[in-house]
Amino acid sequence: MADAKKTDRQTYASDFIKGDTDQAVFLGNPHIDNLMTVVIALGAEIWSDRQRLRIVESLMAKKGKVTSEMVEQYVPSEEERAGWQKEREEMVKRVYAVLSRDTSGARPFGEERKFN
Amino acid sequence: MFNRRTLMGAAAAVSGAFASLTGRAAEAKKNAKAKVAEGTMAPRGSIGVLERLPELDLDSRQDFLTSFRTMVNREMSAASMRRADAILKSKGIDPKAEVPYAEAIAMLENDPTIALSTRTWLSAQQLMWNDLLGHFEANSDRYLSEMEAVDKKGPGTLELNPGMKMPDYVKHEIHIQPGGYVGSPFAGHAYHYGTNAFYTGRNYQDELHRGSANRMPIPADGKVKRILDIGCGVGQLSCALKERFPDAEIWGIDVGGPMIRYGHLRAVERGLDINFAQRLAEETKFPDNHFDIVTSYIMYHEVDPAGTAATVKEAWRIVRPGGIWYPLDFKLTGAQRRTAYGSYRSWMDHRWNNEVWTLKFRTNGLPDMIRKQGFALNEKEPELLPGFGVLNATKPATA
Repeated sequence: MADAKKTDRQTYASDFIKGDTDQAVFLGNPHIDNLMTVVIALGAEIWSDRQRLRIVESLMAKKGKVTSEMVEQYVPSEEERAGWQKEREEMVKRVYAVLSRDTSGARPFGEERKFN
Repeated sequence: MFNRRTLMGAAAAVSGAFASLTGRAAEAKKNAKAKVAEGTMAPRGSIGVLERLPELDLDSRQDFLTSFRTMVNREMSAASMRRADAILKSKGIDPKAEVPYAEAIAMLENDPTIALSTRTWLSAQQLMWNDLLGHFEANSDRYLSEMEAVDKKGPGTLELNPGMKMPDYVKHEIHIQPGGYVGSPFAGHAYHYGTNAFYTGRNYQDELHRGSANRMPIPADGKVKRILDIGCGVGQLSCALKERFPDAEIWGIDVGGPMIRYGHLRAVERGLDINFAQRLAEETKFPDNHFDIVTSYIMYHEVDPAGTAATVKEAWRIVRPGGIWYPLDFKLTGAQRRTAYGSYRSWMDHRWNNEVWTLKFRTNGLPDMIRKQGFALNEKEPELLPGFGVLNATKPATA
């Protein structure tokens, strides 16, 4: 991202030392690491749609009509904002709870294959 | 206190008065005229101390990533600690015992639950930075124009020094922020919005910075005419100090040009008279004995040992006799007890979150350096927050 598009304007950005975290592999295969990032990103996309839906519902209830501009500029009440945060946090827990499960007994599925 | 998502008439008027100097003039004008109630509409990019992000979807994704990070820090971290305890017990090691970094890492880094927790934590942070910077860069003309419009306008001043010689330690991508504090034209924008995830919602109104400024000790003689915020970043503490000490001359210096440029923009929009300058902490260029208070906000854990030693000397030079030096940072005095899991987490933060200097920060002996320089370390002062802001020092009046 820091390799911003070229501009002739003075940006006051200067050279920096790039880190290597992009190359870190924690799950044994870089593509599995990538998939984990994809799973989180998809959650963010789903939530942004859910957020739009909630705003549309509020506007329909209050105004009886909706435009794109109204959705973008909607200012929620404190109660709505708190409700959305609660819904978001519940969604995160519901969808991702499995990531915190106890895996201490996990083993390869073929380990228990018995034929007699 | 304004809530980011609540537009009040007064906020609109203030925003309108100063944002009219910028490219957001049209939006500001609309705001100033209209008192917009909750549950209705208001232009994006115009609400509160930290303005709403300009696109709903971007804002929503950032909210999600903050909630996700909170879940990782709670549930997944707890699962990781349980795994660490089990691993250590299986090896006959007390989980509360101090374990050297290398040993702790070797025991824990390959556990699937601990590795997954680290992976998800980093992935959420990478997504957060990339989404924000992607937006600012895609709209670079607008954001550059906003900054250009106020570079030479007040209240306050902005001194930028393109081409200045910087030590390498400042050039790292700390917190894996792409480009770090110096390499992206929008480092300040990204930092300000990105740290929302770090503060899990306590950043919308500069809550921690205001809390720090409001609790900051002042010299015994009560005189506070000039204050310096070193490593000021986007100037959140500088702004909070101006709010507490409206009659004082406030300076914020930082090595990151894009950071203070954004800081100046937001200070102008808020009508706060602050002088920002792109300078080094170890070479501030101020006269001797110039400031009544010199402070910094979580800077020192991002400074290398040589830089730290040099800034102690510089602080001594510029704080006036009887003045206060308050380098706010994470707790580093007392025993640094490191359990195996604590060591793994510290190392992970250092290695993969690119907190390049944190491990050295814990052992660099800053309190001793402060004492040896001649400051009186006020060791009985309460911490500003638990584990935060424990060090503050006075330059003796006779110095």
